[in-house]
Amino acid sequence: MDIEVRHPAMHEIADIEAPLVQIARGTTFAEGPVWDHRNGRLYFTDIIEDTIWQWTPGIGMETVIHPSGHADGMTIDHQGRLVVAGWASRSVWRREHDGSLLPLVTHYHGTKINTPNDIVVHSSGAIYWTDGDGAFYIPGMESEDLQRYLDFNAVFRLSPDGLHLTPVITDFVFPNGLVFSPDEKRLYVNDTRQSLVRVFDVDRNGDVSNGRTFYELQGLEVGHADGMKVDQRGNLYCTGPAGIHVISPDGNLLGRLKIPAECTNMAWGDEDWKTLFITTHHAIYRVRLKIPGIPVGGNNAG
Amino acid sequence: MQVEIKQVAGPINGSTGGVVWDGERVLFSAVGESRILGFDPASGQISEVRRFTNRVNGIAIGPNGEFYGAQEGSRRVIEFVADGSSRPTQSRINGAFHNFPTDLVVDNLGRIWFADPYNAVRATGPQIFPPLNHASVIRASREKAYGIFLPWHLKRVTFDTIAPRAVLLSPDERTLYVAEGDPGGSDRCELRAYPLDGNGDAGEFRLLHKFSGGKRRADRGISGMTLDSSGNIVACAGWRMSGPGPLIYVFAPSGRVIETLELPADMPMRCAFGGPNVEDLFVTTAGGQLLRIKNFRVGSNVRRKSDETSRSSRVEASQRSA
Repeated sequence: MDIEVRHPAMHEIADIEAPLVQIARGTTFAEGPVWDHRNGRLYFTDIIEDTIWQWTPGIGMETVIHPSGHADGMTIDHQGRLVVAGWASRSVWRREHDGSLLPLVTHYHGTKINTPNDIVVHSSGAIYWTDGDGAFYIPGMESEDLQRYLDFNAVFRLSPDGLHLTPVITDFVFPNGLVFSPDEKRLYVNDTRQSLVRVFDVDRNGDVSNGRTFYELQGLEVGHADGMKVDQRGNLYCTGPAGIHVISPDGNLLGRLKIPAECTNMAWGDEDWKTLFITTHHAIYRVRLKIPGIPVGGNNAG
Repeated sequence: MQVEIKQVAGPINGSTGGVVWDGERVLFSAVGESRILGFDPASGQISEVRRFTNRVNGIAIGPNGEFYGAQEGSRRVIEFVADGSSRPTQSRINGAFHNFPTDLVVDNLGRIWFADPYNAVRATGPQIFPPLNHASVIRASREKAYGIFLPWHLKRVTFDTIAPRAVLLSPDERTLYVAEGDPGGSDRCELRAYPLDGNGDAGEFRLLHKFSGGKRRADRGISGMTLDSSGNIVACAGWRMSGPGPLIYVFAPSGRVIETLELPADMPMRCAFGGPNVEDLFVTTAGGQLLRIKNFRVGSNVRRKSDETSRSSRVEASQRSA
């Protein structure tokens, strides 16, 4: 893999000898990768082609859900259920163990929410997602109702019991990727249009405060702030110009993983969580890294 | 009586664009602010009709009160529904994404005719879909089966345009007028009349008017048109940079220039007759204004009866403002 090193610590993260492998291709707009450790497979979405896919080593791509409401970001909750930022369906929903699809949120105080983009589950079970306005505007992935009603593009929090919906951040232009630090004391959220990452303090109740600029993406190459993940040392991985920017917990660019296509998101996977799966518009890539990522999908996750 | 020109709204940030009379208000696009506004001639008040329109420019009302917008920022024609929601129509022609619809007109069958030029401003988001290899007038239609509309279907109408900017139908809907040519471009701007057969297919065009050309001296041509009560074409054209300046032209269907009116504002964009007896001409401008012209000409009063109910529900919806 082509690596741009900006700090010696980058050598502890990525190995130039590790191959970047294209494992799947043929999508129009791949997004939302998440590793399902119980079944040893990757799920991802194709927003424009209206499909949720699974990719299993040795088997390849199989359709899981179609149509998918142009679903976007995905994660897996502590019970092993797929939790989906529904984008054009203007909802956040969950796939139950029996295979049924359960809408969790469609409205905020009686008003239709915007377009859920990316999503994480806190250790408490609370669900956080970014609610931008993309499905109203971006060609080819539009919602059936194109009208935006909320005045803000929020980061929402749904309480663990599913009863309380709170817009915890409302001053983004286009909130997109979001991820907690390993200790969950910080929440990182990026803004695609502003081309930056902001960091917030998270208290015991899951409330969010003290937002400040953490990192500004630079570079003339293809790519912008979209998906984000962290590794177990707290380094932040953010899509951006040239591929994936690896940023230390104090906000310094350590280096960039150079990906030969516009990256949309990424997910940790495999048994040791040292594999990074990377979605681009038309293909999915896999690369082995040196520091494991944060496991997703519950206590027996590794 | 003497012609009287007055700015009744604006300037807004950026250009104003599409304009249409809905029977009560003059609706007009605040393109740069991604809103549609309404001017009430009775009270002089401006109200907000729609927000978050992502650069909707051309707007048009159909025979049953259907309200459409050409959403330049999203490369599509959308429908503003009376309940306050909005929905897409169809963006693919023969499987490929079309360009940037900018102006549109709805015929008596409810079909949408729209100009689909290229646009210097990119659509929102990642650029997944390349533009078409042609810039044409396209017609959207849909059939009804078992009382339900089937999906919209697109058909290419012109095969010889490179930059269609404005469209208009004659009163009998057997002629399609097209303003063709980039403003100030190397190809001189034209006003064309395409005969339409019973299927809505266009034949060879008649050239009604050709604007002056020349390096750095080319006229801007027409960016918006409407009909007057006699079936003449009332067109917004020109700029101060070159040629005869910003004008309202009145063309006979033959192409003869009946008269022109000099405007006190540069780059008129689109125009529509409005007011209780459709006797006032409303003009949008690149400077973000809405101008009202009195004592000039009278509009074509082809208002449709079925407007009444949908119009009132549209007003209610905008008052609820979701």
